[in-house]
Amino acid sequence: MDFRFTEDQLTLAETVRDYLVGTHGPDVLRRLDAENARDPAIWQGLVDMGLTGLLVPEEQGGLGMGLLEAALIAAECGRACLAEPLVDTAFVGVPWLLAKGETGQLAAIAAGEIKLPLPHAINPWVADAPSRGNDELVSVDPLRVLSKGTGEDDPHLLNLAALMSAAQLVGLADAMLSQATEYAKIRTQFGQPIGAFQGIKHQLASCAVAIEFAKPVVWRAAAAMQEGLESAPIHVSHAKVSATDAAMLTAETAIQVHGAMGYTYEVDLHFWMKRSWALAGAWGSRAFHLKRVDEAVLGGTHAIGPEHTFA
Amino acid sequence: MDLNYTPAQTAFRAEVRAWMEAHVPKEPLITLECREGYDSHVEWERTLASGNWGMVTWPEAYGGRGLDLIQWLIFEEEYFRAGGPNRANQNGIFLLGPTIMEFGTEEQKQRFLTPMARGEVIWAQAWSEPGAGSDMAAISSKAIRDGDHYVITGQKTWSSRAAFADWGFGIFRTDPESKRHKGLTFILFDLNTPGITRRPIRQLHGDTGFAELFFDEVRVPVENCLAGEGQGWNVAMATAGFERGLMLRSPGRFQATAKRLVELYRTHEAEASPAAREAVTQAWMAAQAYAYNTYGVAAKIMAGGKIGAEASLNKIFWSELDRSMHRTAMQLLGAAAELKRFDDGRVNQWLEGYIFSLSGPIYAGSNEVQRNITAERLLGLPRVGAG
Repeated sequence: MDFRFTEDQLTLAETVRDYLVGTHGPDVLRRLDAENARDPAIWQGLVDMGLTGLLVPEEQGGLGMGLLEAALIAAECGRACLAEPLVDTAFVGVPWLLAKGETGQLAAIAAGEIKLPLPHAINPWVADAPSRGNDELVSVDPLRVLSKGTGEDDPHLLNLAALMSAAQLVGLADAMLSQATEYAKIRTQFGQPIGAFQGIKHQLASCAVAIEFAKPVVWRAAAAMQEGLESAPIHVSHAKVSATDAAMLTAETAIQVHGAMGYTYEVDLHFWMKRSWALAGAWGSRAFHLKRVDEAVLGGTHAIGPEHTFA
Repeated sequence: MDLNYTPAQTAFRAEVRAWMEAHVPKEPLITLECREGYDSHVEWERTLASGNWGMVTWPEAYGGRGLDLIQWLIFEEEYFRAGGPNRANQNGIFLLGPTIMEFGTEEQKQRFLTPMARGEVIWAQAWSEPGAGSDMAAISSKAIRDGDHYVITGQKTWSSRAAFADWGFGIFRTDPESKRHKGLTFILFDLNTPGITRRPIRQLHGDTGFAELFFDEVRVPVENCLAGEGQGWNVAMATAGFERGLMLRSPGRFQATAKRLVELYRTHEAEASPAAREAVTQAWMAAQAYAYNTYGVAAKIMAGGKIGAEASLNKIFWSELDRSMHRTAMQLLGAAAELKRFDDGRVNQWLEGYIFSLSGPIYAGSNEVQRNITAERLLGLPRVGAG
């Protein structure tokens, strides 16, 4: 029993974080939004870091890592509000194909040659479809590319995608808390930084609490999926609800702390807020996931109580 | 990350479970905030000690079993699974004990820890004063050095367990000219020392769990000072860290409450609102989240890490979770919520628990103070009034 990431895992996540901070800052988001386009150089950078092959077995040219590493890096993608479909392709699509025993495309995915669209019955759209025609849908998130379409109701795909959405949401929440906190340190009113007022402090502290207690739920879900536990879907749903709640609370708090500035396009916050709104509903809404937990816990099919912490 | 127990950990769980099933009282003890209930809880402390379960993480030399924090968590899970009573000596074993372990001399460890683990000496805390609640640095009770004694004069209040306990601990101003955090010293004292008057405070439920303490030239030997004169604030902050952090409220307690809440929901399902149903599911989710987080903190400490201001996040989380679970239960009970005993004679533990849960966001440093600490020390926001 050791509920900790290894030093190697944490170092990997830190490397990705530093890379994204250096190459994928708010200026990049603004440029992509203004040009309504993707920048192939960003994708190539992720490929060069080996991230498209993170979960691809070594024999197919990947790094052969697991869902825990993927979830940690998905959180970093959320923190950076990454515009490229790395998480969908490499952290959801790859393990889904592996589980089905379909290994034909993996080498090409690792090499960055394929971005994998993931149609599913639970969503009324397909993100990052290869060809875009008249069936384009417009997301509130200017960096999401959506097309009309749906797919089969594949439970494993849903669980993988919901897990990785939850991981991105805790990263998004972290970033929004940090943005609001930094703003509260420099914005002065009544002769002092607004962050000195308890009315601001206590709201931000409540976000810190929500994030602190959402993260371990996400890691627990990643471990359960990695191990293939029968109870994994419950943990995924728990993670999606907790991460959604933490991100929505932090988004609303962050705009409030920014005041009228938060309502402008000029402040970066809106990119992160819009991604949070999108991921909150994607791959099963809060209500969908709450119901899955509720049916298992209240319905008595999942063991509860102090002796069943890791059931 | 490995979320599986080792065979040795599983065997340990079985050992705790068997002992608890054989020894935990079949009927819940009455509240320890009255003489009779206190005595029965002290008797339970001694029963626990007879099985050597008083404080499993302490070294064997001090009355413990030398177990690690994962084993402690397993112990606590089984304790609450079995419905083990509240710990009469929680101020000792969870707060003062770890503090003595960190700051005490070998002589102090020998003298205080084993009787604490064995339930032979029950401890009260004495932090707050009438003028120093959330603002603990405002304390004014004095302990003036006179030869090999301190002479204590002043008043403490809201002293948990002090109505009936044997010993107390708190911080006192040993430098009468000092202000705020300086000049304070952490002192342990026998509550039966001449000059100490205890005045039990009747709480809103009518019982007397805490007390006021009046000190009138109370002579306490200098060897009862912990970590040296003038170090009181640092020591007290460490104690508060133990209180808010890992030890005082282990996850098993809240997981057990969440499970009871689920069971209560099932018996009231027909008339329960969807909102109540969601609140019950949330209770389970939050109690689980608290458990995962605690396992993470335990692993971090076992690897040589420390808990700092994160302890404030913990304290906010468990205290507000406890209140919301009991509020939900009161809503589910409906008209029966107000009954002190149900018509079948059973004590309404949800009502008692709800009333107690209201103190959670207040004691161990109010949640307003915890949110300030979170904002200032974890987020780096400026201190109140800065600028």
